[in-house]
Amino acid sequence: MIASDKTLIRLNGLSKHYGRLTVLDGIDLEVKAGEVLAIIGPSGSGKSTLLRCINYLEPPDGGTITVDDIVIDAGNPIGRAALSGLRRRVGMVFQSFNLFPHMSVLRNISLPQERVLGRSRKEADARSMQLLSRVGLADKAEQFPIRCSGGQQQRIAIARALALDPEVMLFDEPTSALDPELGLEVLAVMRELAKSGMTMIVVTHEMGFAENVSDTVMIMADGNIVEKGPSKEIMRNPQHERTKRFLRAVHDR
Amino acid sequence: MLPDFTEITAWMPDLMSGFKISLQVTFFSLLIGIPFGLVLALGVMAKGRVIRAISLFAVEVGRGAPALVLLQFIYVGLPSAGLMVGSFMAAIAALAWNTGAYTSEIIRASLLSIPSGQREAAEALGMKRLDELRFILLPQGLRVALPALLGFSILIFQSTSLCFTIALPELVSRAYEIGSITFRYFPVLLLAGLLYASISIPAALLVDFIEKRAGKFASR
Ligand SMILES: Nc1ncnc2c1ncn2[C@@H]1O[C@H](COP(=O)(O)OP(=O)(O)O)[C@@H](O)[C@H]1O
Ligand SMILES: [Mg+2]
Repeated sequence: MIASDKTLIRLNGLSKHYGRLTVLDGIDLEVKAGEVLAIIGPSGSGKSTLLRCINYLEPPDGGTITVDDIVIDAGNPIGRAALSGLRRRVGMVFQSFNLFPHMSVLRNISLPQERVLGRSRKEADARSMQLLSRVGLADKAEQFPIRCSGGQQQRIAIARALALDPEVMLFDEPTSALDPELGLEVLAVMRELAKSGMTMIVVTHEMGFAENVSDTVMIMADGNIVEKGPSKEIMRNPQHERTKRFLRAVHDR
Repeated sequence: MLPDFTEITAWMPDLMSGFKISLQVTFFSLLIGIPFGLVLALGVMAKGRVIRAISLFAVEVGRGAPALVLLQFIYVGLPSAGLMVGSFMAAIAALAWNTGAYTSEIIRASLLSIPSGQREAAEALGMKRLDELRFILLPQGLRVALPALLGFSILIFQSTSLCFTIALPELVSRAYEIGSITFRYFPVLLLAGLLYASISIPAALLVDFIEKRAGKFASR
């Protein structure tokens, strides 16, 4: 499934502390272009923080982040160009959708294109409509987000991020706030996105997605990577006690 | 005790010219003061320590000092520092400061009421700070702040009556002037009061209406 051998994302010794608490304990990670990486692990293990450090929503305090040709060293203050370059290459989808409630669905998707990429309103709207069709919501363009179900809002949020043509998409528990059947429609969109060759890092509790859609699975605990490997191997035949315990706990739920 | 018809027609021109000045002072105080309040709100929330300290100082003085003291301070104090200001300018400066200080808190609270997830989304999308403010935070924040801002505007309109202490010929000054000549203080102040009410009461009703509508908007 992985389209190429090109490494798109490389993290070296990425660390993050909140006061005395070590949340990321020197993470080394490589993600190839076209790879879909699922991150699983108990809550509080640093999964969200890892994602948020990758696009610098949370500044890491040690290590380096490389995305495509952008290199960011946590030791130095980040430059404006590096930050906007990073944000342009990395799209993010949040657990709570975070649509802008005072704008129509179409405006939600078009405004960032106009402000960030300098597209004209016409170009932006055309791209927005194309993506709304792709996530199956073309008929919602003129609605306000509040009139859409949670599953629809999350698909709109995915379209909004895709509209900026990112090279990698980060998902932080995109279905955790949804009823199972609404989660399914979001997962279907994500599966289609994975097939299309998008590079994705997905923090999830959906074991089916981790096993069947992602190429690689990584288990985190206490700010460290417990193990990482091809998804089927890890999910069916985990090596580490910590992973076994976590997977058992998930199955028992 | 009530003013009779000939009195009303005799006093009205003076009272109306005072009323006009009261409205002008209100208008310019708000025109300058509310944007100033936005600047102070952003200043207080800024990352830079110096900007934050200066903004906090301006807010605390503007809120802490009674409007009367601010008026005197600017009207009497500034000339002794070599800066001449007329009573009209002094009134606007003092009330704009007062407005800025109070509305900065109103605006700050309304900006903070917007869920932080929206700011994160804007940031993750790569939008600039200024765009985030202009397209995401302000349109929602000002909608939240609108009733409180209007309510405060009514208070500022009423505060213009304090300007009689710096010899500004606004409504209360004019009424006193007439009173001191005719010794008909009560009827002329009653008229002045009615003129204030002609603005304040409809404005207060408007605030109620907007608040109810805003409530409906939020709960739908
Ligand atoms: N802003 C913050 N301030 C202090 N502690 C935080 C903050 N954000 C996260 N943490 C702590 O960092 C740890 C990891 O959090 P997080 O990355 O959200 O974990 P996960 O997403 O795996 O559940 C938790 O112990 C959490 O309490
Ligand atoms: Mg999390």
